[in-house]
Amino acid sequence: MANLFVALFEIMSFGAIVVLVVLGLGIIASMMGIFNFAQGEFVLLGAYITYVVHNAGAPVWIGMAVAPFAVGALGFVLERLVVRRFYAAPIVAMLGTYALGLIIREIVRGLIGGLYISVPEPVGGSVNLGAMHFSSWRLVIILITGLVMVASYLLLSRTAFGLRIRASLENPALARASGISTNAIYGATFAFGAALAGLAGALIVPVFSLFADLGLRFLIQGFVAVMVGGVGSFAGPVAGAGVIGTLSAALPWVIPPVIADVLVFVIAIVFIKFRPQGLVSGKGV
Amino acid sequence: MEAAVLVIAALLPLVLQDYLTIYATRVLILCLFALSFDLVWGYAGIMSFGQAVFFGSAGYGVALITRDLGVTSMLIVLPAGLLIGLTFALLLGGFLLLGRHQSSVIFVSLGTLTGSYAFDRLARGWYYLGGQNGIPSIPPMSLGSYDLDEGPVFYYFALGILVLVYLLCRFLVGSQFGLALAGLRENEQRIAFFGYRVQRLKAIIFSVAGAIAGLAGSLYAFHEGFVWPNMLGVVMSTQVVLYVLFGGAGTLIGAVIGTVVIEAVSFWLSNSYQDIWPIILGVLLLLVILFRPAGLISLIVSERERVGGFGRPPKA
Repeated sequence: MANLFVALFEIMSFGAIVVLVVLGLGIIASMMGIFNFAQGEFVLLGAYITYVVHNAGAPVWIGMAVAPFAVGALGFVLERLVVRRFYAAPIVAMLGTYALGLIIREIVRGLIGGLYISVPEPVGGSVNLGAMHFSSWRLVIILITGLVMVASYLLLSRTAFGLRIRASLENPALARASGISTNAIYGATFAFGAALAGLAGALIVPVFSLFADLGLRFLIQGFVAVMVGGVGSFAGPVAGAGVIGTLSAALPWVIPPVIADVLVFVIAIVFIKFRPQGLVSGKGV
Repeated sequence: MEAAVLVIAALLPLVLQDYLTIYATRVLILCLFALSFDLVWGYAGIMSFGQAVFFGSAGYGVALITRDLGVTSMLIVLPAGLLIGLTFALLLGGFLLLGRHQSSVIFVSLGTLTGSYAFDRLARGWYYLGGQNGIPSIPPMSLGSYDLDEGPVFYYFALGILVLVYLLCRFLVGSQFGLALAGLRENEQRIAFFGYRVQRLKAIIFSVAGAIAGLAGSLYAFHEGFVWPNMLGVVMSTQVVLYVLFGGAGTLIGAVIGTVVIEAVSFWLSNSYQDIWPIILGVLLLLVILFRPAGLISLIVSERERVGGFGRPPKA
């Protein structure tokens, strides 16, 4: 019984991590129609900034608070300079953001070398329930993921800013005619998605430690999750991330990890093949 | 243009030192691989982020044939590699491209990318395939009692195959089939309205490209003497995308030039600037995508080359 709960907790915390990583990816993909191949590297940057701040002597949580803003700002600049040119062509956007990601990843690799650097958890220890121990930091991640999810949902569905984002998505020409600067909206959305990735990176770095290919590990998982969930809505990618995250954390308990890892992808691709619209069809929030 | 490149390539081993000839042979094989990607992306507009699946699985296939069956005759292993590439491409392409639902470009590119990742993971985790280390010390290819070792002879052999495949591709893209493919890239719906079975065309070219990649992969395995999981994975798959984009997708010679330029600069920089080379590569790629979407080749050859001409060979 206790083992089951520990397993469930592990599965849930990994699911939360995948949701956190996919959220930014999903928002950019759904709201802007761009599959951002640099998203993994935004996660990496968030992790790297946390490490740098910690290395300079400040507490870890300061780094975690700084990371989303720094990465978001970078996302804003990159959108202005580069990504903006790609909106018409989704495949070119993939390649362009891939090039951006390559540049970021290799710069970080040059800075940290081929090392695995561990960053301490700001909240250590574990919560004990009888004989069961739950890592406090993973609990915090689950909690923050929930908060971020709700906050993003409210931002998109209940605020004037969210309304403008959705308007620019649904009918850019009409949005512009109504006096909404779609360019500014796209910039802000991209920056927001990047900031979420930065936050994800900052939060997960104590769990996975920092290495140059950290982002790559999540990128394919994230894309598959977005496709499984359904592009175009807010709920889709989140649902997809929940499913993919849970599956890839749960299956290794039952079958050999290597097969489980591959099996998740195979199931996902077959699912998308026969249901291209994903779990949640429809647009909007 | 093409003739000039061929003459340079034919004379190269006479002036290069031996170790450089070996490196040049590898580049030629990679050119072959780049051609296969150029056919799917540059001509048919199918984004394949998993071309290395066919390259690598053929490499693994021939490695297993030599290891477990002891066969090294090139008359068997090269067709075998070709067939392995073709089979995997038929399976993956058939699944991704055919069917009742029209597959979106995004789905195909993510599907191939995921396939590449999955094959990579499988090869790493499967003891029979050597796990992380791959399969080392593959004996050289043989023809009768003659062993084809790396060096000038292998270079000319690879060059011969490259030229042969290149001519075949040129014939293919110059035919009506090729013209339909280019139309597919430019406006898929319109080609469908002309009565072409769009999905079938795509699956055919995907399989042909898979076969070429398989041929390249088996040559590569014998030239390097070992195969390892990176050959199958995302790294190799994106590498070939870089070659073709850089050189110019949609022209055959562009794929070759892109591969040669990237590999040559990489070799030249690898001694002193190993760390920053990938960064430079990323920046160059970004600049090419932003300002020269048709690739380096567009500096020399006109845009019309991409459209091709039915019936007569394109100029330049």
